[in-house]
Amino acid sequence: MTNDGVIVAVIDDDPSVRRGLSRLFRSKGYRVETYASARGFLERGDYARLACLVLDVRMPGQTGLDLQDVLTVGGHDLPIVFITGHGDVPLEVRALQAGAVDVLAKPFDDETLFSAVERAVAKNRAVRTLGERR
Amino acid sequence: MDARGAVIEEASPGLGARRQSAQRIGATAVLVAIAYYVGASAGFILGLPPSTPSVLWLPNAILTATLLLTPVKRWWIYLLAAFPAHVAAKFGAPLPPVLVLALFATNCSEALVAAACVRRFSDAPTRFDTLRRVAVFIGGAVLIAPFVSSFADAAVVSELKQAPYWLVWRTRFIANALTELTLVPAIVGVVTARSSWGPETPLRRYIEAGLLALAMTTVGAVIMEGLVHGPSAIPGAPYTPLVTLLPFILWAAVRFGPGGASLSLLCTVLLAIVVSVHGRPAAAAMPSADSVTALQILLFVVAIPFMCLAAVFDERRRSNEALADRLRFEELLVRLSSTFVHLPSREVETALETSVAQLGEFLGLDRVTLYRLSREAGEEFAIAYTWSAPRVRPLPRVSPRRDFPWIHAQLLRERPVGFSHPGELPPEASTDAETFRQRGIRSNLSIPMVAGGRILGTLAFVTLTVERAWPDELVQRLRLIGEVFANALAQQENEDTVRASELMKSAILASLKSDVAVLDREGVIVTVNDGWMRFERENGGTPEACVGSSYLDAWRHAADKDVPHAAEALAGTQAVLDRSSASFALEYACRESGYERWFAISVVPLNVPGGGAVVSRSEITERKRAELEVQLSRQELAHFSRVSMMGELTASLAHELNQPLTGILANAQAALRFLDATPPDLSEIRAILSDIVDDDKRAGEVIRRLRGLLRKEDVRFRALDLNVLIRDVAKLLTSDAVIRNIAVRLELAPDPVLVSGDSVQLQQVVLNLLLNAMESMAECAEDGRSITVRSENTDVDAVHVSVQDAGTGFHQGTQHLVFEPFYTTKPSGMGMGLAISKSIIEAHGGLIWAEDNSIAGATFHFSLPTAGARSE
Repeated sequence: MTNDGVIVAVIDDDPSVRRGLSRLFRSKGYRVETYASARGFLERGDYARLACLVLDVRMPGQTGLDLQDVLTVGGHDLPIVFITGHGDVPLEVRALQAGAVDVLAKPFDDETLFSAVERAVAKNRAVRTLGERR
Repeated sequence: MDARGAVIEEASPGLGARRQSAQRIGATAVLVAIAYYVGASAGFILGLPPSTPSVLWLPNAILTATLLLTPVKRWWIYLLAAFPAHVAAKFGAPLPPVLVLALFATNCSEALVAAACVRRFSDAPTRFDTLRRVAVFIGGAVLIAPFVSSFADAAVVSELKQAPYWLVWRTRFIANALTELTLVPAIVGVVTARSSWGPETPLRRYIEAGLLALAMTTVGAVIMEGLVHGPSAIPGAPYTPLVTLLPFILWAAVRFGPGGASLSLLCTVLLAIVVSVHGRPAAAAMPSADSVTALQILLFVVAIPFMCLAAVFDERRRSNEALADRLRFEELLVRLSSTFVHLPSREVETALETSVAQLGEFLGLDRVTLYRLSREAGEEFAIAYTWSAPRVRPLPRVSPRRDFPWIHAQLLRERPVGFSHPGELPPEASTDAETFRQRGIRSNLSIPMVAGGRILGTLAFVTLTVERAWPDELVQRLRLIGEVFANALAQQENEDTVRASELMKSAILASLKSDVAVLDREGVIVTVNDGWMRFERENGGTPEACVGSSYLDAWRHAADKDVPHAAEALAGTQAVLDRSSASFALEYACRESGYERWFAISVVPLNVPGGGAVVSRSEITERKRAELEVQLSRQELAHFSRVSMMGELTASLAHELNQPLTGILANAQAALRFLDATPPDLSEIRAILSDIVDDDKRAGEVIRRLRGLLRKEDVRFRALDLNVLIRDVAKLLTSDAVIRNIAVRLELAPDPVLVSGDSVQLQQVVLNLLLNAMESMAECAEDGRSITVRSENTDVDAVHVSVQDAGTGFHQGTQHLVFEPFYTTKPSGMGMGLAISKSIIEAHGGLIWAEDNSIAGATFHFSLPTAGARSE
């Protein structure tokens, strides 16, 4: 299975984290878009081209969970993999209940990340296929 | 004593005593009767037949003397007592009863007239010791009384016995006048002799009187012998007793006064009359009756000048004695005054006691008391010294203010009070008078003792048995004495005060816990307290550190040996001695055998004309140790507080470290994958490695800041920029602020804000203020959460930092409480954070305070001195 053409969006306020994740995804064949804030991501719009969203929970301004709410309300069924610097169980539960694919505690192993993203991509693909059949 | 009669003994002595018992009156009456009978019998014997009147009629004179010596109200008793004697004496004579009665009446009338005249005109009826008194006596008793009474007598006798009237009158008058003149003073003199002849009379006076009596008796006997046995063996020798006895009368008059003169005159007259009546008229050629009359007149004429002479001599003698008395009193005054000049105060008491006794003895009083005014006891006079005459009971307890209120008040107004008997006191002094009566005090004189315009006490002079007058002159003298005593007391009080203050000073010096040394202007030790001496003894007893040595030299030697602080101590002490410095204080350490002792010395100027200084030294090792311990525990506490703050920051710090770690891991794993590619993208790998290095540095920085805050080491003051410090702390809190959704704004001064301080401690303060600010907003709406940190250089030597939040602010009026230890509004807080911040800021010489914002939240401020502006 190839990842060509699959686009992953990474939103994190930390530039180093953004660059590292971008490189990992590229080495695996994904295309990557990075954003420093939820606001920047929302401004770009056109969520259909994206296969998966890797989202930092705590950010200045709008948080990751806020963004998840915005997307859900907007009817955008985009699979989200949360990454967080805090082992915060209530937050994890809340994210998963809202439909998140996974919540990863920083720092995380590349295989863990890829596994979660692949599940997300698969989910996205399934959703799209379902949508096309209809 | 004073010629004006400082001592008044008006009270009649002997028979006239006021409380004479009935028994004594009876005895006296019997005595009068016997004397009258004897006198009448003698008068008959001396009668010159055939004429009735006697040559020397004694009863009338006896009656006169009796009346003079007894109170008027008892005269009737004695006159009545004489009547039986009169009747008895006339019993043998062939006289009709009417004549006997009439003669008794004329006798009594003569005595009554004589006594009345003398009592009326003489100031002392029983004394014949002044010319005036003798003149009154001669005029009244010797001339008028016989003169008047003889008319009645002559009338009765001439009527009943058919005798020639004028002959009877003349004979009686002359005989009675002579008898009154010689016998009355003799009787009165003998009776009253008790007062002048007592145990105190010198022996030589008795011997002289004895000799005189013996001489007169001898001469009298020789004359009698000559008369009985014919003409003298010495042809031509005078046998007139008067002439022979004249020298003895003169002797008696000059040496023994009127009493002696009258006694010798009486003897002479008796002898002369006996001789002329019964003797052989060998020397007389005249008829018997005429010669007797001539003799009577001669005796009369001679006796009067002798009596006067005796009175004049007596008067002169007494005035001489009075003068001598006065001189002695003056001498006493001078002696007392000179005693107290330059008298050491410890001898004043003895001298006062002696002087009080001397005064009492000299004035012949019963008691003299010196009271001192005690102002502490409410203006009360307290007995200081008292003297009592022998056999006088000691002074009872007395409270002059209570017992003698009026006199007490007079004395406080510096007025003397004296009276001869309590009745003289004014009506308002009734309490005083009553007390005097109860205590049996007859006369009293109280003199205020005044010195330097204030009253120090009083002198009380008291008689218990006799009444005594206090002439002004005496009072004035005694006031002088009072002043002398008062001055001595004042002097003594002054010296006592000085001594007490010296004792007080040395007691204070001894009680000081510090070691104290007093230096003179040159720095030589004048005196030291016990503590200083003990210190010197315990520390080798260097002789140069004790009294007489130079304190400056001691420091100079130490400075030569490079003892730390010695030069500073030398200069500081010198500056105080030169008056160029108001005081000097120094704390210094002494290291001896590995043990460190700390001392504090303070040098202050000695405010005396000669200058000098007082050095006090105390060991402060304990205090220093305690200070160090406090400092250590404060550091411990601060450290503990920092560690606990770190606990609050754990989540934030984990995030802060997770970010670089996440970046590093992602980048490293990406690099591994790039290396597997062929060919590997080396430029990409280089970029990755560069990012890894940056992330690693970032993590290291977090660790560094953390370690800096948790560091536990000694406080070190360094110049540092508060802006840098605030930024560091803010960075540590960035993640926390993000988590809490709080905007932290830094509005820092564009220029470095430089202070001198310990960076760890000041970071702790900023961190604490920021954490507090964050916590204060936990319950606020999320969009309003903001903190603004400002720094500024307010003026040349101070900086100001404020941390403003938008939280809940203070409860009304609790701003000042937040810095108290253990004050907290947080359920989990320890309440030490701000208290520690306060102690840190104050240790840096700054101030910390808090206030409510006008809109919402609170602002904490602290100010610190600019680096270099701090005084330490």
